[in-house]
Amino acid sequence: MLLTLLASLCFWAAPTDTISDYYTIETIPTPAGLTVETGGLTFLPDGRLAACFHRGEVMLYNPKTKTWKLFAEGLHDPLGILAVSNRELLVMQRPELTRLTDTNGDGVADTYETVADQFGMSGNYHEFAFGPVRDSKGNLYISLNTASNGAGIRDELRGQYDSLGRPGRMYACVPYRGWVMQITPNGKVKPYASGFRSPNGLGIDAQGRLLVTDNQGDWLGTSKLYNVEEGKFYGHPTSLVWRPGFPDIDPLTLSPQTLDSMRTVESIAFPHEIMAHSPTQMVVDNSGGKFGPFAGQTFVGEMDFPHLLRVLPDMVDGQMQGACVPFFAKGGSNGTPLRIGNNRLAFSPDGSLWLGQTDHGWLGDRGLQRIRYTGGTPLDILAMTLTPTGFDLTFTQPVDEATARQLANYQVRSYYYEYHRAYGSPQKDVQTVPVTAVQLSPDRRTVSLTLSQLRPKRIYELHLAKLTAGSKQLMNSVICYTLNRLRTPAVGRAN
Amino acid sequence: MYKSLLLLTALLLNLSAWAQRDTTITITTSGGLQFDQKRLVVKPNTRLHLVFLNKDDMAHNLVVTRPNARLRVVEFALALGDKGPAMHHVPAMDDVLAHTVSVEPGAADSLTVRVADGAYPFVCTYPGHGAVMYGVVYATNEPEKLPDPKTDRNLPNLDRVAEVGMHQHAKASGHPYPLTLPAVCRTFMADCGPAAIAVGLPGADGGQSYVFDAGSCRLRYAWSGGFVDNTEQWDGKGQRFTTVVGDIYYRDTDGFPWRVGSQTPVVQFKGYRLIDRYPEFRYLVNGVEIRELVRARAGGRGLVRTFTISPTRQPLTFNATAQPGIQYKPSAGRLQNNQVRLPAGTRQFSLTLSTL
Repeated sequence: MLLTLLASLCFWAAPTDTISDYYTIETIPTPAGLTVETGGLTFLPDGRLAACFHRGEVMLYNPKTKTWKLFAEGLHDPLGILAVSNRELLVMQRPELTRLTDTNGDGVADTYETVADQFGMSGNYHEFAFGPVRDSKGNLYISLNTASNGAGIRDELRGQYDSLGRPGRMYACVPYRGWVMQITPNGKVKPYASGFRSPNGLGIDAQGRLLVTDNQGDWLGTSKLYNVEEGKFYGHPTSLVWRPGFPDIDPLTLSPQTLDSMRTVESIAFPHEIMAHSPTQMVVDNSGGKFGPFAGQTFVGEMDFPHLLRVLPDMVDGQMQGACVPFFAKGGSNGTPLRIGNNRLAFSPDGSLWLGQTDHGWLGDRGLQRIRYTGGTPLDILAMTLTPTGFDLTFTQPVDEATARQLANYQVRSYYYEYHRAYGSPQKDVQTVPVTAVQLSPDRRTVSLTLSQLRPKRIYELHLAKLTAGSKQLMNSVICYTLNRLRTPAVGRAN
Repeated sequence: MYKSLLLLTALLLNLSAWAQRDTTITITTSGGLQFDQKRLVVKPNTRLHLVFLNKDDMAHNLVVTRPNARLRVVEFALALGDKGPAMHHVPAMDDVLAHTVSVEPGAADSLTVRVADGAYPFVCTYPGHGAVMYGVVYATNEPEKLPDPKTDRNLPNLDRVAEVGMHQHAKASGHPYPLTLPAVCRTFMADCGPAAIAVGLPGADGGQSYVFDAGSCRLRYAWSGGFVDNTEQWDGKGQRFTTVVGDIYYRDTDGFPWRVGSQTPVVQFKGYRLIDRYPEFRYLVNGVEIRELVRARAGGRGLVRTFTISPTRQPLTFNATAQPGIQYKPSAGRLQNNQVRLPAGTRQFSLTLSTL
């Protein structure tokens, strides 16, 4: 009897695992005197880390010997780095994309070759330059921040000045500010896509799509992830001045409705305060399972919160939309906590995820940390796909039937963000959407939710309480799906 | 009657003293999540009117707390979680004496608070901001007894203050290695295009330095007595210039100096390579590649500019307009009419620039 009671108590004890039971954080020591405001991280073919920092240093770190070596110096606010070989790096600094090459094999760069500088500089501090990333065809992509009316421009500029691009909270008075540029393998520099505000992150996902993050502000009701395609306009108007064929007007004189009709919307929104304040770079888990159950998935950094994000794309009518969910939120008290300011991310050959932090001028932190998978399978959402009547959620492992079948364990809010000139947007037309039915797949890994109503151009914020898998609790109980398009039932498919 | 007059006089005096204690102060933002004013000193019992002007790129608020209550208010604000935005991230608690609403970029709000004798923190309680974005109002009749601002623990970023202080004393390089000349620093410099490259050259008394403009591919000015100071450029969001350390003795007035044949120059910067740490710049002008290496002139202030030119069938012209106090000495050709003409096929050329 006592044994039965004890067993019963054990059975009903709430699961208490956290993400720290599956992953551990390690802070990487950095050289004395280095201001560790990280602008870029990349791994060389030989396994060493190359990192660039705000004050212009490019340093190499050998994880085996735990030693640092200076590779290059004197760059201007480098905010991206890409390894070409063990002796060649591409670095994006404010004035240009630069190829650094160690020609004599002594471990130090000898040539600083200009790869691309065909864009304007007004000297405004907000004109950062990000990238590069490379696609499977060898094209490189960089992105160029708009300028801020928190400060002016210099007496001397680089590139043509256009006063039509000068008005605005964020502005583009010199060429290709607010653009993503493409550099082809033969070195041709092309304006590729426009309409960005602060596109701090670029990445190529496992399917080869070019993804760019952008930060909440004027014309962005909340921060976003775009699937960027050539020739498209992504909503921040000032860069239109530099679009070939654009009429000779200030784009801000166009109505929001007109601009809305011209733009391509985000694939995935990061609802402000819930998911992100300032998303940073994307990186694909290419570790082949050495980083836990998320192989092939895309992680995104975040400046203000001590967590990352994971994005779950969903294709509807050939267009990408989908969900985002936090990663490493609510870590336990085991060992070192994850800091904020996670500006740059890179997977190491050993499958750990390296994070470069920064706080330069904004909220954040300084330093390098890495997240290492220690084993086991956390209970988390692996996919969220839209159905004609609701959503399918697939988990990393089978969930307990009792909790999964309860309607009350699924709460849905729906809203949209307004596209307007103001800085950010409140959630508009917030509604509670009842979940009317739950189905559990035979293998108990997929929950199919039926909602009372689905409407396009809205965000569906799903809260899952109490879902468990034996002794494991769900690592993240909130997930947000950006529903741009409804999925219509296939013709002839039996319902 | 006399007694009545005395009472009236006392009342008037009190009113006068009272009126003198109404104070309005405007606070705005500065780089690195900071208020521009961090320490305010007023008399006790002042009715303080604070106007908060948000010049930052993100929303902030301003909350005045009871003495020693800043951290507690910040923690309670963080605990608001999802309810924070609707409450302007201000928790309802007695430790909050007054507060603004959420102030969007470019907007302003104000608050009024009465402060008795004491130190009253003011802070932005947006999530994560409160650890760095704060200051203090000292209400005191004895301002001379306040702690030195550099050691005042009621002010933020003591480490950075110490860093700046250390820099001023020790001339630390700000890098994990000492400054070694020659040195290259790409940054924002005054009187130069935004793609500026400062180069420090070794020599006596701090050596010499110059700025090369990568946008227009030309040397802009030179100075002696030191290299550059990045303190202002690094502290903040990057709008401020890197500053010259030393005395500028030469400024170029010619614009881009080279002409290929009679063509208007169209230039393109191609980067540089380091030769014993000296940068050799590489640029194209009308399809002709020129490499330029600059060294300090031996024996006094001045520079030796050495040019290596790719083969060309056209004659070249180098413009060097006379300037007071500056002497030019070309390695080939002659300086006539403020220019040096070089025949087609010239591959090497140098110009020594010196002060008289």
